[in-house]
Amino acid sequence: MEHYRVLPGPEGYLPPAAALRGVPLPLPGEALIEGRPVARDEAVRHIAAKLAGATVPRFFPGPQLLWRDTPYARERGRLVREIAREAGAGVIPMPDYRPKYPMIDPAVEINPNHPNLTIWHNKIDVGVFIGVHCHQANLALRIIRGGTACYTVALCAHDGHEDAHVSLRDADNAVLEQLRDAVRAATRGRA
Amino acid sequence: MSGEALKPVPTPYLLFEARREEQFITGSEAVREAVRRANVDMAIAYPITPQSESMHLVGDLYAEGYLRDYFRGENEFAVMSQVAGAAMAGVRVFTATCGPGTLRAFENFPLWAGTRLPVVMAFMTRGVNAPLTIQPDTIEMGMLLDTGILMLHAENAQDLYDMLLGAFSVAERTTVHLPLGVFVDGFFVTHTRQKVRVVAEDVKLEPYDPAASPVPTVDMETPPVRYMRDPFVMKSNYVSYAAHASWQQEILAAAERARPYLREVVGPFVEQENPDAPIQVVASGTAVAQAREAARMAREEGLEVGLVKIKVLRPAPREEIRRALARAEKIVIPEFNRTGWLAREVASMIPANDRIVAGPRVYGGMTMPPEVILDALRGTRLAGV
Amino acid sequence: MSLDITRINPAFADVMPQEYKDLVADGPFGRHLGVRDLGTFQELLEEHPLCAGCNLALAFRALVASLPNPEDSVLVGSTGCNSIAFPQLALHNVHSLFGNQNAVASGLKRALSLRFPGRVKDVVVVAGDGATADIGLDMTLHSWFRGEKITTVMLDNEVYANTGGQESGMTGRGEVRNMAPTGKKFEKIRLPDLAVNAGCAYVAVAHTGNLPRLGKAFRRAVLLAREVGPTYLQVYTPCPTNLKLKPADSVGMAKDRGKQDYRFREHLTPEAERWLADREDGAGAGDEEKNAP
Repeated sequence: MEHYRVLPGPEGYLPPAAALRGVPLPLPGEALIEGRPVARDEAVRHIAAKLAGATVPRFFPGPQLLWRDTPYARERGRLVREIAREAGAGVIPMPDYRPKYPMIDPAVEINPNHPNLTIWHNKIDVGVFIGVHCHQANLALRIIRGGTACYTVALCAHDGHEDAHVSLRDADNAVLEQLRDAVRAATRGRA
Repeated sequence: MSGEALKPVPTPYLLFEARREEQFITGSEAVREAVRRANVDMAIAYPITPQSESMHLVGDLYAEGYLRDYFRGENEFAVMSQVAGAAMAGVRVFTATCGPGTLRAFENFPLWAGTRLPVVMAFMTRGVNAPLTIQPDTIEMGMLLDTGILMLHAENAQDLYDMLLGAFSVAERTTVHLPLGVFVDGFFVTHTRQKVRVVAEDVKLEPYDPAASPVPTVDMETPPVRYMRDPFVMKSNYVSYAAHASWQQEILAAAERARPYLREVVGPFVEQENPDAPIQVVASGTAVAQAREAARMAREEGLEVGLVKIKVLRPAPREEIRRALARAEKIVIPEFNRTGWLAREVASMIPANDRIVAGPRVYGGMTMPPEVILDALRGTRLAGV
Repeated sequence: MSLDITRINPAFADVMPQEYKDLVADGPFGRHLGVRDLGTFQELLEEHPLCAGCNLALAFRALVASLPNPEDSVLVGSTGCNSIAFPQLALHNVHSLFGNQNAVASGLKRALSLRFPGRVKDVVVVAGDGATADIGLDMTLHSWFRGEKITTVMLDNEVYANTGGQESGMTGRGEVRNMAPTGKKFEKIRLPDLAVNAGCAYVAVAHTGNLPRLGKAFRRAVLLAREVGPTYLQVYTPCPTNLKLKPADSVGMAKDRGKQDYRFREHLTPEAERWLADREDGAGAGDEEKNAP
């Protein structure tokens, strides 16, 4: 099997799904960086470095996180906001999955059917997805890689995403805390 | 005994560790035995020979308390639509059909795959019209290869039982979440008695978990509240064309992701006897049994023949087939259909595919005596091509 | 608890777009609103691309506003103009395919009953005349024969509007449409009669010329489907685009037909009558609107 690298785009008119090019999902305890399995700790540090070096970083919380008012969701949301703050990153929500009609307001939201509109409008260079159903996340990740230069990070509660540039799996609140600490450390040296 | 009294256990325990006992049962009864242990919530049935008996027996399981709902629908397209609605709402649902029933239901198969429904169902393959035959024929399988569903082919009732039980844990993985068809030749397997080792402990599979679905379950309990399954994705511009294409890519990717999970439950996608033989006979389903006998007869004549049994058709077993046939000089592919879809599949997976003899083929319900395969192995005659 | 998904995580309240905040703050979830409250609350149907003057859209809004428990309602639509509106609806809904909406709804309802026994989960089919009476006729009827506890609503514009105006089974005899260049050769299908014969607990015929009455009939249909048996509501929703009406004139067309062959009527089985009579919230009360044109 060819060794396909999941690299920042724009990759072209209709780039392949990474899974179809032999990129495996990470095993428990692992993560993916650009299609390569790595230890999770390495991926967490890598994400932190990318966020620290980004010009326009953004977090994209999805419906699983936005449409819940439970203690767990509130804590998870608080952690996401904290990480974003540490990273100097804005937050643009993905409130649902339908193609927006008549037109998305790309300044305030992102949508899996046309995520590139939001990426282009805001000139986002690092985007972090969390709380998006796996299917819709994968739709978005491929379209972004095909049409934009944005570097994508997927914080997945399940098994991960081959089409993201960095994919964590089983990203529970403990992993988010680890990421927050890594971002804090990575941005400490920044002016 | 009802389903309530069974203890849920992980699939590997059920498949590989639970105590088994041997029963002398038909393929239809093997379906019953598998569904008995499968913790199925609902089953929906429609008559068509030769799968009706299987669904009668599933109905008996319902009457005994192993399923929570069961009914007969009004035609196969309706049944597969009812199955779709039930699966979207987050329950484990089972059905079966074959031949004309498969074709009647057909629009639902790419729908199930496209909307990520982890439906496990059985196909007891038989001929399609015109003219009519109720007899075994695998022609429908070739038509289903591009619908996006996963496909396993059982050689006998033991395969059928084990594949059905293993199917749920593969189909229901978050990263897969696709329909899975277990195919078996009608009559040859469904209506003959065979020794089948079935689980003899009071256990069943763990239940389906709707929270594991990669798309929102339709129940007004799963966010987002504004959710259409599935919205039109087709505005007239590049942006939305990419969305539909990306969606289709996701379905292909989901099938790829099934590989390690399938290996856990069915083992290697392809099983081979005598891998060094210069002649390899490649088959799936009941044709494997006939090919195995023909290979034995060939070896008695001094002809070195190997056997390749294909168990998984989708995702396509490209690597496994390429490896198995790397050194073959002649590849014989017997099939129970007119179209030769298996030979086409194998031809697409290997270099120098002019090594393939795309036959013998019998169809419309004809049996395939091993002598017919032996003729092809010897190179003296090729039936049906 | 279904109201969970109608709440925004406080951690993100400041970044949610206004339309979603409005939906939560001013929407109908958990409230008992109706057609008469339209204009005072945030409707579940957002901006949609249906034509100006579309009666289907008007009926759709009235129906959705009349759901007794929107937070526990799932809709099933079908191909047609209705499916253009459905993506914008803030409820779980299913695009069935075409014609199989009642089959999908049957499986959905049974599964929800298994997963949430004793809880309200209303399943409502909303589809056009082509989907309900032509390509889906057998599945529509069989869901009624089986006694599935679902509400079926046909939005009847008497044509396949979304595909450019072809004759449907619900087109009137003699009407000229695409694929009926010399006029339809057979009578409009009398689906309400078929519904009565199929054993529906409640069958009603309405139009968009009287929205409060339409809303009341729909609410009855949903409550009776929940408790008694399948219900059917047929609504005349004339299409200004295919009938070449000015948008402002389209409701007038509904009112006119409402005085002729599309008069409002209701049929209840004795069991449905008894159930309504037992309710105290006025759903069963006599209603002078019933006799208005």
